[in-house]
Amino acid sequence: MRRSRENHRERKPFRKRRRHDGQARPDKNRPQEQPARVASTGSYGRELRDLLSGIGAPKPASFRPDPFQLEALAALEFEDVLVTAPTGSGKTWIAREEIRRLLAAGKRTWYTTPLKALTNSKYQEFGDEFGVEHVGILTGDRKENSDAPLIVGTTEIYRNQLFDALRGGEDVRVDLVIFDEAHYLGDEDRGHVWEEAIILTPPRIRMLLLSATIGNADELAKWIEELRGVRCGVVTRPGARPVPLRSAFLMPDKRLVPLLGENGKLNREIAGMIEQQDESRRSRRDSYRRR
Amino acid sequence: MNRADRDEILIDDGETERRHPCRRFASILLASSVWTRTGRMPVNRRQACAPKMKLRMPEMPPANLLAALGSYNLLPAIVFLPTRRRCDEAASEAALSRRGSNDDRREARRDFMRSLVEQHPEIRDHRHWDTIVRGGVASHHAGHMPAWKLVIEKMMSAGLLDAIFATATVAAGVDFPARSVVITVADRRSNRGWESLTASELQQMTGRAGRRGKDKVGFVIAAPGLHQNPQRIAELLNAPPDDLESQFRATYTSLLNLLDAFGVFAQVRDIGERSFAFRNVLPRIHHLEKQRAQSVDRIRERLHRAGIDLPVESVLALERLASARSRLMEGTPQTRREMRQQWLNKVVQPGRVVAIGRSGKRLALVVARTLDGVTALREDGRHASFPLQRVGRVFGPKFSTRPEKAEEAFDEIHDRGDRLTLPEPRLRDAQAGEEDSIRMINDAIDALAPSGLSGTERDGVVRALWSLQSEAAAIEKANREIGRLRSEIWEPFECCARVLDHFGYLDFANEKVTERGKWLADLRVDRPLLIGEALQRNLFASLDTTRAAALIAALAADEDRDYGELELDDAIVSLLVQFEEISFEVSTEEWKQGIEAVPEINFSAAAAAAHWAGGIDWPELVRETRAEEGDLVRLLSRTGEALLQIAGLRGTHVQAADLAARTAEIILREPIR
Repeated sequence: MRRSRENHRERKPFRKRRRHDGQARPDKNRPQEQPARVASTGSYGRELRDLLSGIGAPKPASFRPDPFQLEALAALEFEDVLVTAPTGSGKTWIAREEIRRLLAAGKRTWYTTPLKALTNSKYQEFGDEFGVEHVGILTGDRKENSDAPLIVGTTEIYRNQLFDALRGGEDVRVDLVIFDEAHYLGDEDRGHVWEEAIILTPPRIRMLLLSATIGNADELAKWIEELRGVRCGVVTRPGARPVPLRSAFLMPDKRLVPLLGENGKLNREIAGMIEQQDESRRSRRDSYRRR
Repeated sequence: MNRADRDEILIDDGETERRHPCRRFASILLASSVWTRTGRMPVNRRQACAPKMKLRMPEMPPANLLAALGSYNLLPAIVFLPTRRRCDEAASEAALSRRGSNDDRREARRDFMRSLVEQHPEIRDHRHWDTIVRGGVASHHAGHMPAWKLVIEKMMSAGLLDAIFATATVAAGVDFPARSVVITVADRRSNRGWESLTASELQQMTGRAGRRGKDKVGFVIAAPGLHQNPQRIAELLNAPPDDLESQFRATYTSLLNLLDAFGVFAQVRDIGERSFAFRNVLPRIHHLEKQRAQSVDRIRERLHRAGIDLPVESVLALERLASARSRLMEGTPQTRREMRQQWLNKVVQPGRVVAIGRSGKRLALVVARTLDGVTALREDGRHASFPLQRVGRVFGPKFSTRPEKAEEAFDEIHDRGDRLTLPEPRLRDAQAGEEDSIRMINDAIDALAPSGLSGTERDGVVRALWSLQSEAAAIEKANREIGRLRSEIWEPFECCARVLDHFGYLDFANEKVTERGKWLADLRVDRPLLIGEALQRNLFASLDTTRAAALIAALAADEDRDYGELELDDAIVSLLVQFEEISFEVSTEEWKQGIEAVPEINFSAAAAAAHWAGGIDWPELVRETRAEEGDLVRLLSRTGEALLQIAGLRGTHVQAADLAARTAEIILREPIR
């Protein structure tokens, strides 16, 4: 465990290199990929060659922030920000850099997550990054260093603190609140807690929402803006995924074929196979009935 | 806060195999195209399975699947499977056939695992140790302990595993990438049974494909499976992401805290009006108010022009009387709930099978009836008591109430349930005496025109009044709409407030939180009112830590999860029976106010927690309950959290707080953290 954590923190010195796909930007010093064990690419058809072309590890590269990450950081200077991007595209980096900036300025941050497991792992991550003395954790059964300038905890606890402050007539001692996995607002059971927290957070406190891709990000931002009277920007990662995705179908005979045809619809070969299968099932059933 | 990991449970619910509800004529709408603007009620956005293009091919044996993926250089992979049991089986199967293979990472894996044992001692004798070390594959789902899941995540990140067999829960939350993601089912299990994947869920899954810095491309691979549907996967991959829907609702905790902070209902309502669900409501109300004012002006002007010296209210009165008359003539329903209760009272009889709760999936055979309650035999063979209004559907045939015959009854319902459902009566008022009322209304309408007018003058006035009726109807409609919009926001809060008022936590007339309500506001648990009433009635006074644990666990558990058949001693049983009475009283009051009644309390959870609080060690608890470790951890950690909340009430409940603190300390021992 120590090992992987240290790897995580060490960054390779900058090395000049060509970028692949303009996409992959590794930030970790990881062992090299194993060679394919049963690869005999020569016998593949053109379709399969295309499907599998470029598979493998990109050359190691130094970390360089994406434009959308920098955009989000810049916007946070003067407004609330809703970041929507898929998992693994570097939303946490934005949060980390903003926290770093605030810590240096002597300001306080509340980082909320929906899950206890996630809270624990963020606590450890931030502890390693900023020093354990600067990080506290608050969950239903864990309370450590609760006066620290950076608090990691579940959204429920943050909401409860807002309730307490409201009833006690005090102010919450926070300058920035970060909602990780903010799309939990739509969770049937617990979503209302996110909404209460957003409504009750005083407009003075800057808000950073990190969400998976959602269809109505603009609508959500507009609501927050009207609610708080503070501009709320939407930052989206263009081109969607950090690593491009291809789809395939594994036929029952273990042949790999593209899932989608050139028109973007289901590959005709797969559709044909299913139809054939239905056909034979029907005829078998019919012959059974005739008997 | 004790729900922080609840969604895992909701998504992936255990081992009981449910029947796949594939309906033949379901629509093929894309999930994302249907959504409601004010999603306060749980909205089912998912479609039933599309009938076409369904692949009825058996799942590939896991070893073959991995071999195939390996031959295309597509490992490591996350293979999503529908149930926890399938994940465990697939991992063992795959590991078995890979044992002999030559893998130079085996030693590395062993070393890695050993290095983690010190930090997580509970993984030492884990039953899947060999699967991982020798086979290089693992299963990962909510049934495993948090520490074990963490170990697997770390090994995957270190590049030591070739495959992980996982339920959809992995898709949420934890960072867990691979080169490929394999989808074997186009549906997933939820707490409502089988449902189609949504575009967002598939996106969460495919989000795991392609490791940043380790892969130039990621792959999502659809593989054969009994419930696979390549057509739907293709559609979902192309679909835009789902919209986020508001789930704003009134809870006791939010009502008490907000009212205590602001001191008036109006401000609680204001919070509601500012929610995401209702963000379009305020502008709409303003618009309607403007329209209403315009209509009033127009009526006033036309009355003036016709030289009729009558206030606008007369026109509105005429409209109200006229529409009351037409409603009477049509026969309008009263309340649906009242009717439904009467109907249930008639048809829920011993021997009938009923479906319980919101999901309506759980069946029970009625064995006895009280005034408002039902005692029934559940499918797992145990008895349950619940209020009448928890009954969802009622099935026609009558069966023997003998337990040994129950299985036949359930089988029959499973086979032909849809056809056997008793139709709920539609509400049609067939009241007598309507004609008298209509005559009275007619007289009232005649009386509207001022007296002392000549016949023709009078006719003119009446004609003018009638001609304004449509304008008046527009005003009435605007009034109704404004009222409806406002009450849509406020009504749920008002219902909560009335229940709290009944139990003395809130003074409805004076819009005040009582002293009792102030401590209840501090109790942030899932069902605060139940715990509040237990405290209020001194249920904790005579308890020891074992029974306190049992009591809170019975509440903290999911109502239909089974934690084994451990023995409960008499003291605990009588305590729980006492508590059930409280629960019954609370849910009866909630039902009266139109709030969905609280779920039943869970006896098997109480037994498991009592054993744990009694000092049994972890492996023994797992063995005796035969529950999955992950479920036990969640149950006990939620129990501990609820106890800590009670422990916080030192100011008002010294004894109970002290007991809860001591119990929490016992419950939250390793490996519960």
